[in-house]
Amino acid sequence: MGVARLKKAELYYHKSVHEQIAASLQESGACQIISTSEESYAPPADVEALISTTDEKLSDIRYLTRTLTPHYVDPIPALDRMLGERPEVTMPELEELAAHTDLKAVCDSTRETERQTGDVRQKLSEARMNVSLLSALEFFPYSLSIITEGTRTVTGLVGTIKAANVSGFKAALGDFSKFKDDSELVIAPYDEKDQDVYAALIYSRSIESEIREVCAKQGLSIVEVPASFAGTPEEEREKYSAAITELEAKESELSQKMKDLAQANVPTVQKLSDYYNSLSRRYNGTAKSDVTECTMLTKFWIPADKADGLRAKIEAISTDIELVYSDPDPDEEPPSLLQNGDTVRPFNILTELYSSPTYRGIDPTPLLAPFFWVFFGMCLGDAGYALVVFGTILYVFRKYKKIAPGVKDFIRLFLFCSVSTFIYGVISGSFFGNFIDSFLPPLVPLKNALMLVDPMTNPMQVLGISLLLGVVHLMFGLLISAYDRLRHGEVIDAVGKDLSWFSFIVGLCLYGVGLGGMLPPHFVQIGQAMAIIGAVIIFIYAGKGEPNYFKKLINGFLALYGSTSYLGDILSYSRLLALGFGSAVIGMVINLLGGLAADIPYVGWLVAIVVIIGGHIFSIAINILGSFVHPLRLQYVEFFGKFYTGGGEPFTPLTLSQEYVNVKA
Amino acid sequence: MEHLGLSLALFGAALAAALAGIGSAIGIGVAGGAAAGVMTEDPNKFGSCLILQALPGTQGIYGLLIAFFVLNKLGLLGGAGAVALTWNQGLQILASCLPIAVVGWYSAIWQGKTSAASIQMISKKPEAMGKAIILPAMVETYAVLALLTSILMLMGVQVG
Repeated sequence: MGVARLKKAELYYHKSVHEQIAASLQESGACQIISTSEESYAPPADVEALISTTDEKLSDIRYLTRTLTPHYVDPIPALDRMLGERPEVTMPELEELAAHTDLKAVCDSTRETERQTGDVRQKLSEARMNVSLLSALEFFPYSLSIITEGTRTVTGLVGTIKAANVSGFKAALGDFSKFKDDSELVIAPYDEKDQDVYAALIYSRSIESEIREVCAKQGLSIVEVPASFAGTPEEEREKYSAAITELEAKESELSQKMKDLAQANVPTVQKLSDYYNSLSRRYNGTAKSDVTECTMLTKFWIPADKADGLRAKIEAISTDIELVYSDPDPDEEPPSLLQNGDTVRPFNILTELYSSPTYRGIDPTPLLAPFFWVFFGMCLGDAGYALVVFGTILYVFRKYKKIAPGVKDFIRLFLFCSVSTFIYGVISGSFFGNFIDSFLPPLVPLKNALMLVDPMTNPMQVLGISLLLGVVHLMFGLLISAYDRLRHGEVIDAVGKDLSWFSFIVGLCLYGVGLGGMLPPHFVQIGQAMAIIGAVIIFIYAGKGEPNYFKKLINGFLALYGSTSYLGDILSYSRLLALGFGSAVIGMVINLLGGLAADIPYVGWLVAIVVIIGGHIFSIAINILGSFVHPLRLQYVEFFGKFYTGGGEPFTPLTLSQEYVNVKA
Repeated sequence: MEHLGLSLALFGAALAAALAGIGSAIGIGVAGGAAAGVMTEDPNKFGSCLILQALPGTQGIYGLLIAFFVLNKLGLLGGAGAVALTWNQGLQILASCLPIAVVGWYSAIWQGKTSAASIQMISKKPEAMGKAIILPAMVETYAVLALLTSILMLMGVQVG
């Protein structure tokens, strides 16, 4: 239980076996390699060579993954993949696959297809632009070669002009005396509403500069006509339309080719991605070793209980091996690995999401687990929802046998919490909201018989329970903090910072509850005494080390003023009532809407079923999110605030990469 | 003037559902913008982004919850017919709706901004998901407290 004990291992071996050694360290999945102390250290040349070949392969793989994956249709549904339904391979199989796969060739054909696709797309977009220009030029009755090439004496231009300026333009050309004899203006049919109107001018080369001057003055902006246009606009358009059809066929052919490439290669690329990533991690691990001419030294952390198993494996590799285990030095800070039993392990993630404990610190997981369990139950608080969650998870566990351990633990967390949700649902009388009252009246007596609290009619009772749980949770946190300080010999701090507040707040609670008549009268006196003792200690401790008596006094009062923060902390637990209430009322609303829908003639029952099932699924989803987040906040802010800072470096062993496939050693 | 009480109470229910809903819509919108930005870089973050984006949505639900609570109290749901209210009782119900209406509105907007920042955070550090969820949840505390206040106030108002 708690933070795993680690051993520091020093492994000396002959250079020739470094690959086998690194492979078995990696396959054990239990060794975190320690970097060598020297900063200006270069790894042995052959390891460096291995790293650079692997990196080359990885860069090909990254290229292929990036390019091919968007075209790949995964035969395994994403959900199945997440739940561990992935191809299983062994490292030797992968090695074999790597040896027989020509990644370069796949890369080349992918690049070629990619290049051709780009090419075709560019031609296609040019052709489409030409077609749209040609459609606009349809009004032009002559061959376009007059404009693009011209004859010896005649040439032309095409431009656009604002519809409002057309008459002005015509008039300006009319004023120009040589125009009448030597040129012709053709204007596309247009509407007063059109923005730009196409106009074409054909004129004698001798008056070109004058014509252009008029055009510029009248705001005709000249449109560049591609030199390839030779026939009439209609002829040209047909030519380009035919080209587009051809190019589109080519494009879809290429895209099919890309899909085929993806379908054929992505599974292999994914396997190789895991293979080469594993190798890269392995070689980079080896690169951290110290090296002499013939021997190498690799240092790593290993959980104490895995040490002997690894020794047996390592010593089977070669006889020239020396493996020395030692306990970490007191001034060393080893990484921390949470090791908890099956019941607590699913809660590890809650601690890890915050921050891992330090190696010698307290593992808060077993301490927070029961509280999280209860709080989650109170927030979701519905027996029906609990059954749905429980049933779904059992189904998932039955169907999927290869779920990765981390994912499985996370799902199991919700399995556990569905039990507390069920219990709280029963004692607060919530089953899919008020489903029993609304639709199953014969079961109402049974429901009522099992009810211990009724948040609907007596919310103050549940509010009291929530706040009481809050006090218990906070006080537990203070006791843990006191224990941690005593463990390190800080007796005065333990009394002054933790036990004093514990005594003060527990005393106040006893006093208050005793005055309310819920406890025998002598508890009032006990409470009073505890509160006073606590307050006095807080007061004195705050002034400790302050020579000035006046300042002592002020510090003391300021410290007592800190009790408001405890008040805030405790009130924060009212969310347990509010969220439980929230899910119950949302459930109630859904049943109510379902009941209203049932009154619709003929199809009412169908609508009611859809509303009730859909509504409750929505309610489960949104309430699980809330029931996870808020109890977590109570752990992180209120509970951890009393004793836990984390700050440890998590244990990250050298492992095989298993992004796409399940790799067995 | 005989229906003034009912009108005031309905006004309260409308404020609770509308203001809290507006707040959530803005909050989710802000967070959604950030999520879309992150997903252009890495579409695989859809799951985590969606969770973070959904966080400011609860205020809208709290507002709806209070609105239904009021409607139920007024007997407007189901065929029973509205209860008679004095204008004083109506005003009391209106007052009870204000905490979730106002706090829901503002807290959802700020929670949305925090969610957006958290989404930016997981784009750089996906492993910090736990912290990224807690930061917006800190804002939501006040919506939860307002919800609780509204519920307790409503339960205290005697009608019929």
